[in-house]
Amino acid sequence: MRTGTGRFGYVVRRLLQAVPVILAILALNFLLLHLAPGDAAQVLAGEAGSASPEYMAQLRERFGLDHPLWARLLLYVKNMLSLNLGFSFRHNMPVLDLILQRLWPTLLLMGVTLVLSVGAGIVLGLLAASRVGSWRDTLISILALISYATPLFWIGLMLIVVFSLKLDWLPTSGMETVAAFHEGWARVADIARHLVLPAITLSLFYMALYTRLMRAAVLEQAGMDYVATARAKGLSEGRITLTHVLRNAILPVVTMAGVQMGGLLGGSIVVETVFAWPGLGLLAYQSLFARDFNLLMGIFFLSASLVILVNLTVDLLYTFLDPRIQAA
Amino acid sequence: MILTRILRCCLVVALAGLALMPDTASGQKRGGTLVMLVQPEPPTLASYLSTSGPIGQVTTKVYEGLLEYDFNLKPIPGLAQSWTVSGDGKTISFKLHKGIKFSDGKPFTSADVKFSVLEVLKKFHPRGAITFRDVVDIETPDEHTAVFKLANPAPYLMMALSGYESPMLPKHLFEGTDIKNNKQANSPVGTGPYKFVEWQRGQFMRFDRNPDYWKKGRPYLDRFVARFVADSATRTAAIEKGEAHVGGFGAIPYSDVKALARLPQIEATTRGYEMQSPIVQLDFNTTRPPFDNQKVRQAVSYAISRKFVIDNVWFGFGKPATGPINSNFAVAGLYTPSVKSYNVPNGVEVANKLLDEAGLRRGPNGIRAEIVHDITPYGEEWQRYGEYVQQVLAEIGIKATLRHEDVPTWLRRIYTDYDFQLTNNWIQTLADPVIGVHRLYHTNSIRPGVVFVNGSRWASPRTDQLMDMATVEPDPAKRGVLYKELQQLVVEAAPLVWVHELQFVTVYNKQFKDLIVSPLGLYAPFDRVHLDK
Repeated sequence: MRTGTGRFGYVVRRLLQAVPVILAILALNFLLLHLAPGDAAQVLAGEAGSASPEYMAQLRERFGLDHPLWARLLLYVKNMLSLNLGFSFRHNMPVLDLILQRLWPTLLLMGVTLVLSVGAGIVLGLLAASRVGSWRDTLISILALISYATPLFWIGLMLIVVFSLKLDWLPTSGMETVAAFHEGWARVADIARHLVLPAITLSLFYMALYTRLMRAAVLEQAGMDYVATARAKGLSEGRITLTHVLRNAILPVVTMAGVQMGGLLGGSIVVETVFAWPGLGLLAYQSLFARDFNLLMGIFFLSASLVILVNLTVDLLYTFLDPRIQAA
Repeated sequence: MILTRILRCCLVVALAGLALMPDTASGQKRGGTLVMLVQPEPPTLASYLSTSGPIGQVTTKVYEGLLEYDFNLKPIPGLAQSWTVSGDGKTISFKLHKGIKFSDGKPFTSADVKFSVLEVLKKFHPRGAITFRDVVDIETPDEHTAVFKLANPAPYLMMALSGYESPMLPKHLFEGTDIKNNKQANSPVGTGPYKFVEWQRGQFMRFDRNPDYWKKGRPYLDRFVARFVADSATRTAAIEKGEAHVGGFGAIPYSDVKALARLPQIEATTRGYEMQSPIVQLDFNTTRPPFDNQKVRQAVSYAISRKFVIDNVWFGFGKPATGPINSNFAVAGLYTPSVKSYNVPNGVEVANKLLDEAGLRRGPNGIRAEIVHDITPYGEEWQRYGEYVQQVLAEIGIKATLRHEDVPTWLRRIYTDYDFQLTNNWIQTLADPVIGVHRLYHTNSIRPGVVFVNGSRWASPRTDQLMDMATVEPDPAKRGVLYKELQQLVVEAAPLVWVHELQFVTVYNKQFKDLIVSPLGLYAPFDRVHLDK
């Protein structure tokens, strides 16, 4: 079944299977979240520093907090089935609008990080494995170990101190220069400059992971019979590595990258906080402490969908990387 | 460095260009963008629904109040150019400036005042129901006169009319809509010096100069930007690098303030918080042992070294507190230092003696009682403050376990379930004791589910009576007498420990002048801020 329709049928089936998974995730999240004590009205009043009882009652009524839990769950599921993500009373805005505003900075940071970390990880892993035990291997391994072990927030702050405060090359934080309000290409360049430090910080950790994974996979493949065969055929080492070993060794890295997508959203909270990058991770974190459950559930929905989509993409990617694997 | 120098040259050239532009006499001050760090990012801009600090720091540039205030806490003209209070204190008549327009071009009139107060603030503002409870009607004999009719004299009312506390809103954009769901919450239109342009969530809000502002030639700046940076170390770096120019209310951690202030371009000030007047406290649950005993509460109060807390936890930014009313109210004649003093050198000794008298004897292990001490979840310093209190309590034989929870959980514990023994806390005593202080001590303020009110649940008939009398007493001198007795009685009863008057710090770039010009501080409209040229 390696035909186009086979692949298409597979995608449709996988997408249909995802629907009950997502619903289950949402219902579970909903119930778990409501175990947390305190509600959005109390947080808002707490931030205000004072409130009258009438004001608190008004807030609760407006947020729908005066209805029982099961009624709220039913209403939520009903809304979700019609793809209505609801309204954030805290922000006085539809959840969808709030999420869409943050979506593209998140995708930008995640995309750049993914490309950077997977790319660098594959290259470094390959370099290290091709000369096992050499100074190059040792250097790369130490580098990977250090970036894996150092906390993200510390790397971020140190990069700010060095490249922003001391060298004055890059801005400390944010996505754009707010005093200037650039337009057109100047704006693109400005955003790119702001992207450098957060993308590097977030990439380092994942790059280390992929480097180690890639190195191990290449070493494993190098001992396989087909490599010996290729060598016996008289192929050059470079050709063996690039066309045979690489293709096989890359599979675990791609798998891991797919699994890590969820983690990337979570790990980016730290980076978004340190660099004031306006992403979804920070929004989720803040809405948890504000008990803004509609918004939080919306973000959960989006990230669950994202993880499912990415894993589907990874599964499809397998069939291209290794034609022996079938999408069925 | 070279780059900075080149940039600086460009700036000078650009500024010189600006200075050459023909303008009014104030033309020389014109131009520039002020970037303010606001922490945390506000959820909305509905300052008529919430008194949250970050909301106020931004909206006060758009919405103005009838009055502003000087450093003596006296009202000065805002949107109202003059006012008269009748002899019985029950009629206050405001004359509005002529020619004021909202930034959408519609005129601002007495009808907007009436609508804002009666239809919005009195009904929906967190403190409005208290502030305006005696306002029965507002008469509008003409477009520029608003006459407040009161059921009782309300001396505190005149302190609550700033753009932060009581913003004046455009009636034409609110009338007939659901006030709580109005889109003004995310795109405000006001009479202020700046116009709302855009809000990129998670990043910044942009406000441009309002060219039709009613104060001619102002504001001087072209633009005001509020920036949101969640990490405190990054905020400090942004100020140091000049990417942001001002931050207050704890936006810059105390631990970084001194280092920043040493830089030649940075200035730090504690002025501009005189209408907030926060007090750092320890709140007892006065209905539960061991703190249902007044002597035990007094003992804890004696044991705490105010100086230690100020110097070591708050990096020296504070002043020992004497009681429920902040010494900032001395200029208004409402504060008295002549109360029982717990700030004595041999505090621990006195405390141990009091606890013996209270019958709380040390057990075989030296422990008199075991308690849980809650930490208010508003930042690191509260953690360190809690650890200090834990140590001091150990010295007087009270073994305390610290408990940390997040904001909603903590609020619920202290103000709804009353499931606590001792918590640290801080309260803003605001512009008048009626608004900021009564809520902590009055019987009427024991209200489950309402936050930052009387969570200690101590009250007495006499103190209730004193507060009720001070609420309707128009004569400042007589109010002072009432508050003196109140302070003495409350301090004796010790339902809280008043540790110190917290001082916020505003850190700003010196190239901006006239930034902090009144006790409203960062809640001022910023129409006078200008670049130093």
